[in-house]
Amino acid sequence: MASNRESARGLPRLINVPGTRLIAALLTALALGYIAWKIGQAPPQALQFAFNGLAVGAVYALLALGFTLVYSTVWFFDLYYGAAAALGAYGVFYLRTDPSLGSRLDINSIPVNVIFGTVVAGVIAWTLHTVLEPRLRARASPTALRTGVALVAIAMGIYTAIVLSYPEHLHLTLSPAVGLATAAVGIVIAQKVAHEAVSTANSTLVALISAVPAAALGAWFGYLLFGTPEAGLYLSWGVSCLLAGCVGLALYRGLYVYMRERARSPLIMLVASLGILLAIAAFIVIVFQSAPRPLPDAFGSTPLNIAGARIKGFNVFAIGVALAGFAGMWFLLKMTSFGRAVRAIGDDEEVSKVVGINTTVIIAVVFFIGAMYAAMAGILTGHDTAVQPRMGLLLLLKGWIASVVGGIGNLYGAIVGGFVLGLVEQFGIWDLAGEWKDAISFVLLILFLSFWPRGLLPRR
Amino acid sequence: MPVNFEGIREFARIAQDPQELVRHARGNIELWANLFVIGWAVAFMLWQGFGFAVIVGTVFAIWAILAVSLNLVVGFTGLLSVGHIGFFGLGAYTMAILTSDPAYEQLRTEAIPTFGWPFFAALPVCIGLAGLTAVLVGVVFNRFRDDIFVLVSFGFAIIAFNVFLNLRSVTRGAFGIHEIARPEIGGWVFDGEVEFLLLALVFLGLVMLVSWFITTSSFGRVLTAIREDEQAIEVFGYRATHFKLAVWVISAMMTGLAGGLFASWTTFIDPNSFILLESVLLVSIVILGGLATIWGSLLGAMAFVLLEEGMRFIPYLPTEYIGQARQVVLGILLVLLMLFRPQGLVGRYRL
Amino acid sequence: MTVDNEALALQTEGISKHFGAVRAVDELSLSIPRQGTTSIVGPNGSGKSTLVNLLSGVLPLDGGMVIIDGVGLRVVHAHETPAHGLTRTFQEVRLFDQITVWDNIMVVLTERSLFPSLIERVRPAKRRKAQEILESVGMWEKQDSLAMELSYGQRKLLEIGRAMAMDVQTYLFDEPFAGLFPQMLERVKDIMKQMRTDGYTIVFVSHNMDIVRELSDRIIVLDSGALLAAGDVEPVLGSAEVIEAYLGA
Repeated sequence: MASNRESARGLPRLINVPGTRLIAALLTALALGYIAWKIGQAPPQALQFAFNGLAVGAVYALLALGFTLVYSTVWFFDLYYGAAAALGAYGVFYLRTDPSLGSRLDINSIPVNVIFGTVVAGVIAWTLHTVLEPRLRARASPTALRTGVALVAIAMGIYTAIVLSYPEHLHLTLSPAVGLATAAVGIVIAQKVAHEAVSTANSTLVALISAVPAAALGAWFGYLLFGTPEAGLYLSWGVSCLLAGCVGLALYRGLYVYMRERARSPLIMLVASLGILLAIAAFIVIVFQSAPRPLPDAFGSTPLNIAGARIKGFNVFAIGVALAGFAGMWFLLKMTSFGRAVRAIGDDEEVSKVVGINTTVIIAVVFFIGAMYAAMAGILTGHDTAVQPRMGLLLLLKGWIASVVGGIGNLYGAIVGGFVLGLVEQFGIWDLAGEWKDAISFVLLILFLSFWPRGLLPRR
Repeated sequence: MPVNFEGIREFARIAQDPQELVRHARGNIELWANLFVIGWAVAFMLWQGFGFAVIVGTVFAIWAILAVSLNLVVGFTGLLSVGHIGFFGLGAYTMAILTSDPAYEQLRTEAIPTFGWPFFAALPVCIGLAGLTAVLVGVVFNRFRDDIFVLVSFGFAIIAFNVFLNLRSVTRGAFGIHEIARPEIGGWVFDGEVEFLLLALVFLGLVMLVSWFITTSSFGRVLTAIREDEQAIEVFGYRATHFKLAVWVISAMMTGLAGGLFASWTTFIDPNSFILLESVLLVSIVILGGLATIWGSLLGAMAFVLLEEGMRFIPYLPTEYIGQARQVVLGILLVLLMLFRPQGLVGRYRL
Repeated sequence: MTVDNEALALQTEGISKHFGAVRAVDELSLSIPRQGTTSIVGPNGSGKSTLVNLLSGVLPLDGGMVIIDGVGLRVVHAHETPAHGLTRTFQEVRLFDQITVWDNIMVVLTERSLFPSLIERVRPAKRRKAQEILESVGMWEKQDSLAMELSYGQRKLLEIGRAMAMDVQTYLFDEPFAGLFPQMLERVKDIMKQMRTDGYTIVFVSHNMDIVRELSDRIIVLDSGALLAAGDVEPVLGSAEVIEAYLGA
């Protein structure tokens, strides 16, 4: 059925003309030759361009990772992905604007807080319901279960709204949540380790035993956080990513599921998500106005000096985030049962359903993670340059191009494609002006679609 | 077909019996959409007065030309192009450079070429240049379909915008071009808004006529077949790529015409009129109105223009956010349409 | 030799098609004479549909040559096959779903070249032809409904009607009988018998051995992309290797 999918995503066949491969090889040689010549001409400058390329490439790689994960699972282009990047960046702007950069006070925040509180409440309600319902069906009555879930969800929604309402106190409001999360992760890890060591280990017992140190660790973490207001920036990153992820999940569960049932073609989904992108972009303009705004400096603005070329500390950090994002995705997809389920759904959703994979849950989580990656990329871009409402669509397109260049649906391709796109963009504007970089990336896209339609590293 | 005589006759028969009419109207979205939009337009004209309605009417005429021409590609041929704003901008810039006032341009900072042509001499050049560019772009784009076509057409819009913004020696970049000539015939200038509206409506009529002629010919039937199954129609002896290229070029030429008209109407253009978002809005208009009908594109353009005016009714909404509010509504409308009515309000083709 | 070529409607010389490591059609050489019916049979995955796709240019050849009506082609372009006198139907019915039944027939009757088709309107002669075709497949009453609204059997019939409207010498029918109710099946059989008496060349792929025995003058048996046997029906179907291929697979 590979051919079906190929036609579904409209990938063209390689041109059926004899010299195609020759032309492709020539083009590659020309491009590499040009870069080599440029490097030979001015090595320090070349290093500078390479650094710049890696810096933007990191963002593109993150985008491509999330994009390729979502796309190779559901096989339609979700344009919300671009909105997620903008949402993430504006989330940080919303939570961390210092007064010197323009006060947050001119933003009427109550409706925004309520909206996101509602979204989080909905997501929590659905998550709890899907997790608890099959396990507690025998022990608790449906009414009690539903009431409990609703209460917890409403509480979480209110908590979210409160967190959003007092952005200057993120370290205070979030310390209990971080503490609890740490404790929970500790217990889960203890269970996994115990299960690996002794396969017959009683998980309840392990949980009970490990609860004490985990709770202590969580309390300690929460206490630490309580006393560090400087952590606010990083907390705002986390909150923005989670919120963007929640919106992605809510969109999938609340809308795309129904749409996919009746959609005849992937274009329906594309147009619908285009509508969502339009609406969210306009919403951002209404709340934040359309002018570009800077985000506060994350790592100071003094650049590092390496062999005559300069690179901002933040950009090194961004490259680190991209690599970490890749490592996380690699672990998730190659090492866990979740990853196997994702792959199975990408290969054939119907069959996965038949063999007992809960496709709705898995795909919802995929949307959550994908949107988090996009949001992180948006945040990095915001810190590096500025946030503006239109950034979403352009970032989405860059992620899309990077994943086509790397090979759609290939994890390694995504990160390679991201860095290749960044480097090509930067070396491309060496002799042109910097404003042409978007045009350059699309020329690269069209060349790739014409000569290497399946990308550098094809899926399988 | 824009005029469905059978439908009208059928409607006349139904209209004679009130009860039948009620039964027929219930659940007939097409009828409601038509009545609603046209009623709104009439109410708007009565409410705002003739003068303002003329300006809105001109905006509508330009959007309608764009929508009708894009529908040829999106609705009839099934290629979801988000790049038509590039041809629109190309037409507008051609018109601007050819007809802007040389004396005025010389006084400005950066020198750009000026010609001082009259409108009607420049318009064929707008159309021709847009067509020529479309041939070049189309030859490359012809191989792509569905999602990938959307992506590369995004790319075309962005490349075009980059050119408008950065090729300063020709377009003066972000400063834009002023003093673009209004059309004139033998000394009589289309200076007033009413005259220009009439001219725009004449062009809209021409574009509709051409579209109607194309879509009702054998060529149009082949286009719909290409939309349904490109490989199958090849087996029956048609070169789908040629047909797709032809309709792409025709559509681009009409879009170039709209661009020339637009530049001449506003007498000032800058790259901000040709951003990607405008192209996305244009696609939404076509989908909202209805795919593969000419009337649907008119309806969509009218609904889009009136939507902005309707936004003024929303309480507490500052006027500077009306455009954004319209965008929110349009976005939600798109989602609802895709859920419940993938062919648009009066469309003949489900996406 | 020339006389032989005259009598052949279709011929292949060592054509191949690979999907990755799978050799769907492997160095296949066969010839199909003019007139009469030839059936292509073989176990599942033996390359029957791939062969039809290669002959009609839907899939590009990886090697070898197809000779249609005496013209040797190393690259078969789908849009050129009608000019060589060849048309086909698809295994999974591929109609133009969102246009009417009438337009589905009309679209293959109209002008092929670009500019004449721009000004062409429906002419009475072509209207009559379309009506004739629709009546012969029993779809005249359905002419205004969309193709997607038809039942499976009607779609299958309409597709055959669309191929008939092409009015060429050679027809490739890919699984024309699959999934049909007996009544429809009889109708398709009658159409094919009529075409046989009218002197057309019919090549069809089928799994139904009774129909193959009933309709075909000659038979071609494929197995794993290679020619297993070819010739008259009874001796071929009776041969030991064919029986083994079917039972062994």
